[in-house]
Amino acid sequence: MFMYFKNIKLALFIFFIGLVHSESVLIKNATIYDGKNNDPFVGNLLIEGDKISRISKSNLRGDVVIDASGKIVTPGIIATDSELGIVEIGALSVTRDDSSDIYKIGFGIYDAFNPHSVLIPWNRSNGITSSLTLPQNTDSPIGGLGSFFVLDSNLEITGSSDIVMIGRVGGSSNGSRAETYSIIEDLLEFAISLEQGDIRTNADISEVIDDSSIAEFMDLHPRDVKALYKLVNNDLPLIMKANRASDLLKLIELKEKYNLNLIIMGAQEAGLVAERIAKSNIPLIINPINNIPGSFDELASNINLAGKLEKQGITLMFNAPRDHNYHLIRQGAGVAVAHGMSYAGAMKALTLSPVEVFGLGDRGHLAQGKIADLIIWDADPLEPSSMPEKVFINGEDIDLTTRMSRLTERYTKNKDQPNGYRD
Amino acid sequence: MKKFNKIIISLFIPFLSFTLTVESDPFESTYKPLPPENILIQDANIYDGDGNEFFETDVLIQDGKIAAIGKDLPVTNEFKIIDAAGKWVTPGIIDIHSHMGVYPAPGVRTSSDGNEATSPVTADVWAEHSIWVQDPQYALALKGGVTTFHILPGSANLIGGRGVTVKNLQRNTINSMKFPNAPHSLKMACGENPKRVYGNRNQAPSTRMGNAAGYRKAWIRATAYLSKQQEYEAKSEEAKQMGYKPTRDLELETLAGVLAGEITVQNHCYRADEMATMINIANEFGYKISAFHHGVEAYKIADLLAENNICGALWADWWGFKHEAYDMVQANIAIVDQALNGKGCAIVHSDDAIGIQHLNQEASKALAAGLRAGFDISKARAMKWITINPAKAAGIDDVTGSIKVGKHADVVIWSMNPFSVYALVEKVFIDGATAYDKNTNFQPASDFDVGIISPNKNRIEE
Repeated sequence: MFMYFKNIKLALFIFFIGLVHSESVLIKNATIYDGKNNDPFVGNLLIEGDKISRISKSNLRGDVVIDASGKIVTPGIIATDSELGIVEIGALSVTRDDSSDIYKIGFGIYDAFNPHSVLIPWNRSNGITSSLTLPQNTDSPIGGLGSFFVLDSNLEITGSSDIVMIGRVGGSSNGSRAETYSIIEDLLEFAISLEQGDIRTNADISEVIDDSSIAEFMDLHPRDVKALYKLVNNDLPLIMKANRASDLLKLIELKEKYNLNLIIMGAQEAGLVAERIAKSNIPLIINPINNIPGSFDELASNINLAGKLEKQGITLMFNAPRDHNYHLIRQGAGVAVAHGMSYAGAMKALTLSPVEVFGLGDRGHLAQGKIADLIIWDADPLEPSSMPEKVFINGEDIDLTTRMSRLTERYTKNKDQPNGYRD
Repeated sequence: MKKFNKIIISLFIPFLSFTLTVESDPFESTYKPLPPENILIQDANIYDGDGNEFFETDVLIQDGKIAAIGKDLPVTNEFKIIDAAGKWVTPGIIDIHSHMGVYPAPGVRTSSDGNEATSPVTADVWAEHSIWVQDPQYALALKGGVTTFHILPGSANLIGGRGVTVKNLQRNTINSMKFPNAPHSLKMACGENPKRVYGNRNQAPSTRMGNAAGYRKAWIRATAYLSKQQEYEAKSEEAKQMGYKPTRDLELETLAGVLAGEITVQNHCYRADEMATMINIANEFGYKISAFHHGVEAYKIADLLAENNICGALWADWWGFKHEAYDMVQANIAIVDQALNGKGCAIVHSDDAIGIQHLNQEASKALAAGLRAGFDISKARAMKWITINPAKAAGIDDVTGSIKVGKHADVVIWSMNPFSVYALVEKVFIDGATAYDKNTNFQPASDFDVGIISPNKNRIEE
């Protein structure tokens, strides 16, 4: 009898879930930061299916109504430099899928993505709805491919594979950075020399590799060569990690010489060459809370960096240490605002800028026809003490339970039971 | 349990009359504050660090000490008046877990001096002998309101050596930065780090049981050393002349200092079950653990920590970098704080040169998580997590850590409520002297900062 009842409940639940998806959701009287415009406005937002069907200051009707009076609504935040889905426990190599010993340039991590990683609900419950997941740097100064993932925890992954290449240059214990630049230029020259006919089959590519001293020296495989071809012919974004002012200028030179779609990450000394970066229209990924002169490449690190760069009109995105809490880019954004960046600018850096820079589709912007990835916040999202009250991904109201919230319950309730017998 | 306590007491009594301190301490603090000012801070909102909150209240600073706290304190010509209307005042922030100086910036091999990872027990090494006083990170922490911090050796070893408490006034010798009369600490470490470091070399410890054996063997040696020293000290002057003075042993001297209650124990430990084991070992040898550091699972044994009067020095949200750091809950700090109806001792620590600059924000996250978990915790109480509680764990709570008459005038003025990300530190006083002033751009620069990018500027001005 009891079981029977339970099953009916389950059936109703499944029915309800099906229903919810076809029902429209109206978020009413919200203070909306749409990601694009500087000033927020109080308005209403209607979600139908996976899209925002209307956004308006005037009244709208919806099947389910959420009163968001006094609450801030923003686009879902996009982590632009994460290991979400490819690293579970940092110091446990069997849970790491972020590096390759074989491929130097064409190594992508898309096939390793684990939608069940506990990092995903955790970061999502803190406002991260999608991620640009990047591998570790390879042995090559340019190489390694990042992918975009929507953090809905579905085993059927929504994402785009291999949409960005990474690289790095700077102080290192093996060899001069001049050598690094030589390798980069040799690789780019090699990439430019490739004709479409050269890369039709792996056998063709192997022949090309044999004929190229740099390809042979770097021990490239066909998939590496294909990635290089894509870099110079398909405008593949290239994220270079670099910090020293002189390196930033050298990268500007390379961008112009080889017509690269260049983004610089780290950029701790960007404040010293901000005008040049702005003139070359290079977007930056910075960690605004990092003011540590952590290496001799980062001596000019300063807490006012984000504000200084914003004033030059540079497109900014934020990162946090690659260690589980990617949502801390919110705190970084708050610190950036405390030290001179505009609020709207910080909000855009968390939402729309990565979409525009990496071509992530109709996300990061609350506007009619865009995909409904959005957050209703319990307070100012740039205060690290604030949390989302509701998270919508692809128009779906996501359950915010996390392993952490479950463990918290376990140790704050029913403490008379041994922990193994608690919920 | 009762019987056990008795054993501990009887072990402790003989030590009371005995001090291990070497008569003239060559490493004694020579700290001198900057010339103190007489200051009246008016109309401030105050978190006093002892759990109280005052509005529109004055603080009087005189001769380096807190002289008075109250409404409408009398104004005299001798005092410089600071109008703090609408601003917030807190005690100087204290970090119980820092590696500044021993892992300075830039992070290069030549000055990474925090882990003497050559033997699992190195109680003979002292962090203060590694510290680089020109680390540019101290000044950054000062701008985050940090007036005192405790520098520890790393966690590669079971017993890593002595830690030291310093005042955040950059000077060119470590003696002149040392917090006067603050006890030394002993850094111990559980879990993955020691067993990985030594296990990888195919030597003990390579398991957690190897870790436990390692501590216990060390304490057995320390107990014997201490008895020998005590036997000698108990002799008459005549007998002392006749006999041999036991040879000093740096390693055992430190461990015996812990057994004698002169040196605090700061124990890096993540997992709840391991913390419980460490409490057993402390009881076996009759020493006290001052705080468990990192304690990602402290919430699982919060009552046990409170019963044993052990603080949890914790992060607001770090996790997952190791298996033993996987079970993070953001309410960890609040749960430890609220154990046994509020008898817990919770500390927000940094272990990080960025985190130390924003301990107020870390406390804010931890508080918010506690409120969401259903606890009723005031901001004034949460302020204890970064002031009086770390002072207590470091053994300096009698002289600093709260705004209380007679204590060191280590005071911060914030632009707004410090639990907001937008709050900036405007002024920092250490022993009643201005150490940082945002408005006049008065700030220290280490020798490292001087002319290192442009010869005519300091690093931070670039």
